[in-house]
Amino acid sequence: MAWSRKSAMFASLAIALYLLGLVLRNQQLVTVAVVLLSFLTWAAFMSNHADVSSSGRRVEDADSDEGIQLNSIVALRKISSARIFEDGEIEVTLRLQNRSNLSKIIEVRDRVPEVMRIKKGANYVLMELGPQRETTISYTIETPLRGFYTIGPVCVRVQDAFGLFHNEREINLYDDFLVFPKMEDIKDALIKSRVPKIFTGAVNIRNPGEGSNFYNLREYIPGDPMKKVNWAATARSGGKMMVNEYERDAVSDIILIIDSRGVSETGPVSRNSLVYSTRAAASLSQYFLSRRDSVGLVVYSDEIVSVDRDTGKKQLYVLLTKLAGAMAKGNTPLKVVTNRIMPHINRGSPIIILSPLEDDPTIVDAVRDLRARNFDVTVLSPSSLEFEFDARRLDRTGYEVLKTERDILMSELRGLGAFVMDWEPDMMLNTALAGARGF
Amino acid sequence: MADDVKAEGASDTSHLYEGKKVRSSAPSRRKAAGRLKSSTEIPKDAIPEIHVPSFIESFFGGPVVSKDKFLPPDRMVSSLQAGSAASLMVLSFLTFMITPVSGTAWFAASNALGLGVAAGLFHLVLIAIGLIGGVYGTFQRDRRAMLISYVALILVTIRFAGSTVEFRLDVVPESEIVQKFILILYAVFLVMYMELSSGVIRFSMLDTSIRMNEVYVMGVNKITRKYHTSLAIAPAIAGTVALMTLLINLIIPAIVGIFDDVSALRLKESVELTSVYGVALGTVIVFVVIAAMFAVNLPLRVQQMRERNA
Repeated sequence: MAWSRKSAMFASLAIALYLLGLVLRNQQLVTVAVVLLSFLTWAAFMSNHADVSSSGRRVEDADSDEGIQLNSIVALRKISSARIFEDGEIEVTLRLQNRSNLSKIIEVRDRVPEVMRIKKGANYVLMELGPQRETTISYTIETPLRGFYTIGPVCVRVQDAFGLFHNEREINLYDDFLVFPKMEDIKDALIKSRVPKIFTGAVNIRNPGEGSNFYNLREYIPGDPMKKVNWAATARSGGKMMVNEYERDAVSDIILIIDSRGVSETGPVSRNSLVYSTRAAASLSQYFLSRRDSVGLVVYSDEIVSVDRDTGKKQLYVLLTKLAGAMAKGNTPLKVVTNRIMPHINRGSPIIILSPLEDDPTIVDAVRDLRARNFDVTVLSPSSLEFEFDARRLDRTGYEVLKTERDILMSELRGLGAFVMDWEPDMMLNTALAGARGF
Repeated sequence: MADDVKAEGASDTSHLYEGKKVRSSAPSRRKAAGRLKSSTEIPKDAIPEIHVPSFIESFFGGPVVSKDKFLPPDRMVSSLQAGSAASLMVLSFLTFMITPVSGTAWFAASNALGLGVAAGLFHLVLIAIGLIGGVYGTFQRDRRAMLISYVALILVTIRFAGSTVEFRLDVVPESEIVQKFILILYAVFLVMYMELSSGVIRFSMLDTSIRMNEVYVMGVNKITRKYHTSLAIAPAIAGTVALMTLLINLIIPAIVGIFDDVSALRLKESVELTSVYGVALGTVIVFVVIAAMFAVNLPLRVQQMRERNA
């Protein structure tokens, strides 16, 4: 039985008045104190009657609590899905049974993770549950952020009518669920492998790309290599430069490298570099896997976690699960990551680095090494400066200075032949990728 | 450094490095921010709003008087407000009736200053503050006003009484039982006023939470009925226990009288037993009995019995 602040205040007042009454020989004060104490005692007596008991699906509660009858209130929970994407909804149904022969007035709170929002219904219910009756509470939660989450335990509380004392129990009933980063539909990421790798059973996918078979002619766009220009067609087209496009003829190995260091979580919880990176990685994975490419993933934080390249829907869920669990911590340099993975990936494979490009003096070296080995490097950099500036954590001067330095670093990377995109918070992934292609 | 780059085809970037110094490290934002800002002062809007509890709040584990915003009162809250105001009216009258000015600190002070009327005036002002503050606090749902009201109504009773029950109004009969009954009535109304006024806040919070969809209530009528029932039972029980305590100077001689009439008579005439110390003895006896009930876990046993019989 726990005391509330109100009961503690009443008890203190009663004792103070009682002692003061004795000192001043004042019967009024002593009488008030006695009535207060009697009032408290009655409430305590009644709240001891109000038993709460519980049993969970996972762990049976111990029957050690004095004054509490076990197995009289039982809770069972059902959730609509154990795997969901960001901004999705989960319907939770909590069934409560009163196995006692007495009616009970109980408060029930089903604990949901702090970042979740209750969209419909309520997870906090005050109810009168009749003898041998059961009731169902339903509510819907929104899942705004990726990660591994748990619903539970169920807190059941009984208190006396005046709110002076209460008995509280936690029913050890837990349901785990996984929130995947949300995915954008990428129509054309335009990243292809320079070194085609033929898998057994690979199909001709008839998409434009870095292949050997002619696909069609199109107008020149800045960034196209001059060797692709079809001079004869250019002459025929009356001055418009035309380039040859080739058919992608194989499955690519695509490596996604996610910067999950502590610095990548700079900014608000829902708008930071890591959130954007994981969403981009999820979208890219889905896109490439749907093209029957083989996708691998490396997430580096205080350790390097990698998922080997593979194809298919199963691989997508493996990647999404890793992305959901990416935590911002540590400060492993990119160079360490690239040194470790380079021997294991095919030369020329596209490598997409998702990083805020901050607080890592090895970025330029790492990208240079990759380019030197002819890897097709794309750097997609969610700008944490923008996140911080939008959140008003950075003043204008500081922002301008840091932005200039960031631009210089990006220019360096572009100078090494990497496609680099400064991804601003309001920019769609498609646009960011198209922008990266522009260089 | 630039020499390390193998220039080839579209990725031939060697021309970019000719005659240029290429930095190999990322800029440090923290260093830049610290170096280039005109002032190192942290922008005000960069500091999140955090409420640092004061010493008093830390001591009490939270704000002493919280400032909540409520929606307009529903029927339950309105009825509690009416009940609280009614009990406050009765309480104010009883307070006025049972608390003479003599023996109070302000009585001594005004006598020392030669202003005998001032003590009576101050006494009335205290009761008025208790009444007006309480009514205002109850209807405005302002806990500060309620707290002021509690303090004023308790403060007015603090006086050196010299063990005798003394009333301000002479309309009350001299009978000891009637006097003690009125005392208990006063104490019960004080406790009921405190409970009802805090109930106004509690049910306003609940009502606001319900209407804001933060909490869902099933069987609201049964829940409020339980509160109303308790409001009727608890004061009656508390009053009865207090009456037993206060009338211990009659109960003990009655019990002793079964065995010895002379001792019973002596006890009945004992000054100690009729004084406040007799009440203290009564309190000890009554609460020893209550403690024994808890020691043998009587509440649980009663509960189990009810479960079996239900």
